[in-house]
Amino acid sequence: MSGPYDGRPVTAATPSMTVAPAPALPPGQSPPRGRPPLRRLGGYALIVPAAIPILVGLGYPLARQFVLSFQEYGLAQQFGRPAEWVGLDNYVALLSDGYVWAVIVRSVAFCLANAAITMAVGMALAVLMARVGRPARLVLQVSMLLAWGTPVLATMTVWQWLFDSQYGVVNWILAEPLGMAGMRYHAWLVEPLSFYAVATVIVVWMSVPFVVFTVYAGLLQVPTETLEAAQLDGASSWDRFWLITIPMVKPVLLVVALLQIIWDLRVFTQIYVLQRAGAPTRDTHLLGTYIYSLAKEFSMAGAMATIMLVLTLALTGFYIRHMLREEEL
Amino acid sequence: MTASTAPARGTSPLGAGPRPAAPLSRGRRTARSGGRPLATRLLGVVAVAVALVWVFPIYWMISSSFLPTNRLRTPTPTFVPLDGTLANFRTVLGDPGFAESFRTSLVVTGITLAAAILFAFLAALAVSRFRFRGRRSFVVAILVVQMIPAEGLFISQYQMLDGWGLVNHVLGLSLVYVAAIVPFTIWMLRGFVTGVPIELEEAGMVDGLSRTGAFFRITFPLLAPGLVASGVYGFLQAWNEYTLALVVMTDPDERTLPLWLQGLVEANRATEWGVVMAGATMIAVPVIVFFLVVQNRMTGGLVAGAVKG
Amino acid sequence: MRLARTTAVLALGTLTLTACSGGSPAESQEGTSQAGSDTEIRLWLNGGDTPDELREYLVDTFAAETGATLAIEEQDWNGLVPRLQTALTSAEQTPDVVEIGNTQAPTFTHAGAFADLTDLYDELGGDDLLPGFVEAGTVDDAVYALPYYSGARAVFYNKDLFAAAGVEVPTTLDEFTAAAVALQQANPRGAANFSGFWFPGQDWYNALPWIYENGGELAVQEGDEWVGGLSSPESQKALTEIQRLFTTGTNAPRDADSNEPWIPFNNGETAMFSAPTWARWSIDLPECNKGVDPEDTSEEAVALRAEQQACNEEKTGIFPLPGRSEGEPATVFAGGSNIAIPSMSGNQELAQELLRIIFSDEYQTMLGENGLIPGNTRLADTLGDDVYAVAARDAALDARLTPPAEKWADVEGERILEDFFQQIASGADVEQAAAAADQLIADTLN
Repeated sequence: MSGPYDGRPVTAATPSMTVAPAPALPPGQSPPRGRPPLRRLGGYALIVPAAIPILVGLGYPLARQFVLSFQEYGLAQQFGRPAEWVGLDNYVALLSDGYVWAVIVRSVAFCLANAAITMAVGMALAVLMARVGRPARLVLQVSMLLAWGTPVLATMTVWQWLFDSQYGVVNWILAEPLGMAGMRYHAWLVEPLSFYAVATVIVVWMSVPFVVFTVYAGLLQVPTETLEAAQLDGASSWDRFWLITIPMVKPVLLVVALLQIIWDLRVFTQIYVLQRAGAPTRDTHLLGTYIYSLAKEFSMAGAMATIMLVLTLALTGFYIRHMLREEEL
Repeated sequence: MTASTAPARGTSPLGAGPRPAAPLSRGRRTARSGGRPLATRLLGVVAVAVALVWVFPIYWMISSSFLPTNRLRTPTPTFVPLDGTLANFRTVLGDPGFAESFRTSLVVTGITLAAAILFAFLAALAVSRFRFRGRRSFVVAILVVQMIPAEGLFISQYQMLDGWGLVNHVLGLSLVYVAAIVPFTIWMLRGFVTGVPIELEEAGMVDGLSRTGAFFRITFPLLAPGLVASGVYGFLQAWNEYTLALVVMTDPDERTLPLWLQGLVEANRATEWGVVMAGATMIAVPVIVFFLVVQNRMTGGLVAGAVKG
Repeated sequence: MRLARTTAVLALGTLTLTACSGGSPAESQEGTSQAGSDTEIRLWLNGGDTPDELREYLVDTFAAETGATLAIEEQDWNGLVPRLQTALTSAEQTPDVVEIGNTQAPTFTHAGAFADLTDLYDELGGDDLLPGFVEAGTVDDAVYALPYYSGARAVFYNKDLFAAAGVEVPTTLDEFTAAAVALQQANPRGAANFSGFWFPGQDWYNALPWIYENGGELAVQEGDEWVGGLSSPESQKALTEIQRLFTTGTNAPRDADSNEPWIPFNNGETAMFSAPTWARWSIDLPECNKGVDPEDTSEEAVALRAEQQACNEEKTGIFPLPGRSEGEPATVFAGGSNIAIPSMSGNQELAQELLRIIFSDEYQTMLGENGLIPGNTRLADTLGDDVYAVAARDAALDARLTPPAEKWADVEGERILEDFFQQIASGADVEQAAAAADQLIADTLN
């Protein structure tokens, strides 16, 4: 695909634009073709600084993890015992285990529900943030930031306290002011469904701030003039939102939604801490915590990681293709 | 879409200097604030209400940090620590480990953030404004990299850093942080760069700016909110990361703040949770300060109130 | 850093040479101190269990005996395993001596992380060392990790509540259950959600004595295979009793574990709880609380705090969990830690010197005086003879560890027993639940 456009900035190649085509540029700003070698190298030069740490800090360990997934590699191998090649054994062991499939189904359901709720709440709050006055916006921003930026160790401890059966504030509020006496010592974490509900509250609470800040930033990017022009043209604020704002922030929305799916499928800390707070572990495992429980068998964990990659690609593949096509990558 | 181009070009940002939109938007605001003040005010109330609900767990943390440990979990919760004590904060501030870890965290976060934002910004520019062979693969690769669970990576990362003598070194930790943050940041910034209509830049070029000039005079300011959002993200990741710091920084003198906080939990055989909550509160303070410093870039500047109303 | 290390390795080389050529202990001692002056070895201790006084003793004594420096780096239990997984594999970064939890010890020992200490075993205490901990650090008759200290649980009780309910201190395990049930029914102060014994659903540590006392096991080795032991008739009998205690002797939440059991005790919501004896410092009954500002260091405040502690200890009794027959303490679960020398350490000899100091009578005595059961049982009497020490010792002498299977840590990592006892607490069918748990244990261990 790069052939004919090689070395040309995207600028001149974007067909949907109705504005000044390249030839209209003044001679001084000659079309990019004028300096092809620099342009061609320019793209590479710009990605090199980012590519190096990624390759070194992430690429190599990931590749190694992938290789290990075809070996038997555990703690003993780390201390020098030779690693044996086992081919696809690790994958077969995992995929022939009915429990693994149950965990996969649970994780996908949890991920989709959480990503959807997070996106909906996050977008709504971002729009709200953009529409209120400065003081209200600052209050909302600081509150979001606190939820996002406080050390997880502390927030998860607090969440445990809030949902504690014996001393939890949630039970206290339900029982005392709200008069639901039966909830006074309710055990939230014992039933898997109720466990996932609590986990969803916490995961959404922690993820929404990121969505809000990012989408809000995207909204700010929409040029005022564009909206004003539309208003002059008689578009209602609803129309302006759906026909101008949303399409313009769409790249950001797509990225954020995609990341939510990726992250929620891997969700670990919240589930792990809640399990340790008193949930039935085996009934509440999701992929993140399950991989962790395999962690002493690095090769198994590596195989599971590959399976999760495939799963994530399957979940988001359509989406990624759409995104790539949309932006003519 | 067509409608958008006319005013964009008409504005001709060059003449008006760095803040061409400001007078316009101010004018607009006066024009409109007469129209719907009540709605805006109502929405403001909603926003504050949401904020209060959202901040409740944090409020609980802060409130707990003023209570002695034996008051934290009682049959009737203490909602307002009226008779609270500052003893927990004095314990935290009197701990030499706090200042030490604070410095370490600041250095690691500083290096990580500076490197990650700069590298990611350049790469985002490359993938959204240039065409070159391998561009598409690069974009897909940095996306896929984020899909692979990283729980098991610390072993290889440790061995690599160990080979270079970078264990217990801020540079080593920063390197793995940059690697972890950059792919995401490229994706974010790419979205923002793509979101700036190219027509704006072209308009600038029509008006006699060089390509680079057009980019920095027109597109870059519009990216400020995206840079800030990515910056906040990167800051929080580096500031609060636990697992990698755990294995890379084993020397108690090189602890980052999350490690120090975990140390507080285990400092006594029966955890002084009030002190832990005070410690966590102190860790959250710089986050708020960082944000308040950069948030002007986000809300003020060129794009103030772009979509209000 | 790297340079210092290289120097250290070179120095050690010199040391070994000197030691070989010298021969007599006096000369090798001298050789050590020469080589040691610029050598530093590092000891990892976890959490706050080892008091400062003991740490200072180690550093000073080590310097005096070897001339080298001992650096103690405090680690957190919470992140210990990932750190050991990485640091112990690095010649550059490995500590020279590590403390490790007794349930983590078999995993690392089997993996080959530690140096063989068999030659030192007799010198450091031999058969006097706590046998369960030695077993946890042994593979194929070679010893790799030795017991550092142990701590067993004892039962704390509120004397006033016992008196008001007319309940005596139980002397057998059956009486214990009866006492818990009677206390809960009496609920002398009318507390909401009152428990006779604080026994949360995932508290498997405190359920184990019933299994052990009835002759049951968690898992047994049959040939090369491990088999779960919860379905055996002995265990089944025990589990029925445990279920009765869960359903009629406690109102503690099913979704909680044994953490911080003194909180409901302080809140007047339970008459008894079981914990390591250091929990005495966390008891803070409202009727004794003088409301002293913890930062107040005036004489008056110090006196008041002493008075408060005395009041708490007067109103709180402690006894080792009683066993099947009268007068015998139950076999309870012991926690504690092992100590070992990582095989990657370049300072093996100095590390062994440090072990000699740790297993000296002086240091073991100091452990005992600080309420930790020393690794050397010969010195268990150093715990003292107050009620706490007596209860701790009685509980500890017969205490047992979890099965010494290589992969036992995985059973704990997967929280199989937490899940299992939670099911028992929730009224599950004991036989079915045990069969399922046995299967999971066997799958994990083999």
